[in-house]
Amino acid sequence: MKKFVVILLLAVMGYYISITFFDIGFGDSHLVEGVVPVKDAYLNETVNSLNVANTVTSIVVNFRGFDTLGEVTVLFLAVTALGGILYKKRHQAGERSVLFSASKVVTSGSKLLFPAIVLLGAYVFIHGHLSPGGGFQGGVIIATGFLLMLLAYENFTVGHNTLSVIESLAGITFAGVGIWGLIYGGSFLENFLPVGTLNDLFSGGVIPIIYIAVGFKVAAELTGVIYTVLHEKG
Amino acid sequence: MVGTPVLFVAIPLLAAFLIPLFGMIWKESVRVIPGIVLAYLLVLAINLMNYVMVNGPIVEVIAGWAPPLGINLVFSAFSGFLVTLMVFLGLIVWMYSYRFKRNVDFEPAKKYFLLLMMLITGSVGMVLTGDIFNLFVFIEITSISAYALTAFYTGRDSAEASFKYLMLGSLASAFLLIAIMIIYSQLGTLNMADIGSKMHLMKPAYKIMAIIFLFTALGIEAEIFPLNGWAPDAYAEAPGPVGAAFAGIVVKAAIYASIRIIYTLFDLSGAYDLLIVIGMITLIVAETAAIRQEKLKRMLAYSSIGQMGLVMVAFGMGTEEGVFAALFLMFNHAIIKSLLFLSGSYLVYNSKDKLIKEVNGIGKFLPITSFLFVLGSFAIVGLPPFAGFWSKLSVLTAAADSNMLLIIALVLIVSIIEVVYYMRVVNRIYFFKKDESVSTQRPTLNALIAMITLGAIVLIVGFYPDAVTGFLHRASADLMDKAGYINDVLTLN
Repeated sequence: MKKFVVILLLAVMGYYISITFFDIGFGDSHLVEGVVPVKDAYLNETVNSLNVANTVTSIVVNFRGFDTLGEVTVLFLAVTALGGILYKKRHQAGERSVLFSASKVVTSGSKLLFPAIVLLGAYVFIHGHLSPGGGFQGGVIIATGFLLMLLAYENFTVGHNTLSVIESLAGITFAGVGIWGLIYGGSFLENFLPVGTLNDLFSGGVIPIIYIAVGFKVAAELTGVIYTVLHEKG
Repeated sequence: MVGTPVLFVAIPLLAAFLIPLFGMIWKESVRVIPGIVLAYLLVLAINLMNYVMVNGPIVEVIAGWAPPLGINLVFSAFSGFLVTLMVFLGLIVWMYSYRFKRNVDFEPAKKYFLLLMMLITGSVGMVLTGDIFNLFVFIEITSISAYALTAFYTGRDSAEASFKYLMLGSLASAFLLIAIMIIYSQLGTLNMADIGSKMHLMKPAYKIMAIIFLFTALGIEAEIFPLNGWAPDAYAEAPGPVGAAFAGIVVKAAIYASIRIIYTLFDLSGAYDLLIVIGMITLIVAETAAIRQEKLKRMLAYSSIGQMGLVMVAFGMGTEEGVFAALFLMFNHAIIKSLLFLSGSYLVYNSKDKLIKEVNGIGKFLPITSFLFVLGSFAIVGLPPFAGFWSKLSVLTAAADSNMLLIIALVLIVSIIEVVYYMRVVNRIYFFKKDESVSTQRPTLNALIAMITLGAIVLIVGFYPDAVTGFLHRASADLMDKAGYINDVLTLN
């Protein structure tokens, strides 16, 4: 009976969600008449006053940078919480609950690939304001490099304190740039550096600085998550 | 002006990233820094509140983009009042938990205080923000800290409670995103004031879909029946001070967000009736469930849910008196329920099951803590001359002014139920014989100071309610003034 009611409720909800979204449509002009959407202003300001080639980056880091600071904090809290909950159950460094038998091909191949992966990740977040990608994506790429090393080598260790220091310094950079903007620009996270010319590496004011900090932070945090979970006692 | 509202978010975030670094140098700093930050924020809140009472609301833009392009924060009489209350309670909870459990290792202590500070920051951000997606981000910050704090004791039961909370919380996040998507697809903006000014253009069908999803999502956080399945478990399994923080801070922020959405964003008149109906159901179900509880903290949790139902009913009246009564209830509930959670945790400190019958005769062994618990019980059921009396009275007069006789009857009946289950505990504390096997734990000095401060506020507001009613009248006028809010935000450049 209970299951039947649940299924009925879900069906009703699903029906209404689907007709609403089918009705709104995807890609068509779905806005109410007479409304000027903020997206037009975003596109305009990105090219004309920020000189950033990637609009997604300018929205994520500048227009809605406060949200990004919040999301970075969410990740930080999730990692902190994971470390707190698995605290008592952790193995010593070098011991693991899960071991993978890696063949010669994997061990030698991963050693070769690891620097390339880290380089790609760094490229993605340093060029976040010029090409697709950015801090979050670059950070994840770097973390996959560490995951590969942890899978290939049983005794590969990452210093817990090192990760914590990188994480903290990157977070302080982000929040610090924001407060610096408050002091010298007038509002939190405001751009206080010259914007440069479009498509240059050094352009976009504080946007590359923030994205590089985000890249380091995400890389350190996700590596920390993988490391913590691998060393969890069953 | 001595600071700006954004510091309420920026300073704790900066401190949160600094704590791991300082913790490597001086271990005690992980406990001390959150306290310093919260004390600074309290001073800032009081200063800004003084400024706002004279000069009107402060609207602050982020990254130099005027609304609706950028994100903005609004510190008005309404939001400022709640922020001051939350930061004050946060400081009290911090002081109380400074040495709550002795011999806690360095790592868990570091995480506990960091998460507690972020819990408060997230709630304050929810109240301050003027952007609906930013609201989502702050809800995420608050809930992730809340899941972690619920599971802090790493036992089987607390893991279960945390998991339940996690599942419902994720559902809330998904629903919130669906609602934001519907609104953005129609109006092309995320700013609350901008949405409020354009809402009449939206198709009614979409409007109803959006409000249902928003209200369901926020109802999960605000413990509205039937979405509150997580609450009793989370309150019972989380450490005592965290229960106080949930009841006093997190739930208040969620209530604020749902009220802001119904009063400012949407123009559906039926939403007020929805508030009354849902509030009444929540009130009846939670209070009758509270009678049957055998664990002290679960009883307090159900009582907390019931009070939130009453707050919803008062907001649903839609009049300025109703809003005033609701705000007065929120203020009193935040202070009194925190006092009950804080003193109650010491009454059942060493017990494993935290049963009500284990407080038998404890009044002789813990005189001050028991006295404070009893003071809180008297205040929350609304006995004169304590603080709770005035808020219940204002609900009754507001209901009488709007000719809602059923609400008056309901509030009076529910008060009797409350008397029954709170007096049962009071009776056990003073008039039963103590069980030999129960060992008591004396509160630490800082916990005692925290509890006595709250007790003093209960008495001061009880004898002299004018101490807060001035602020509350300003705050309720501020919430009712929708055109003023929209004008303040959108005329900024």
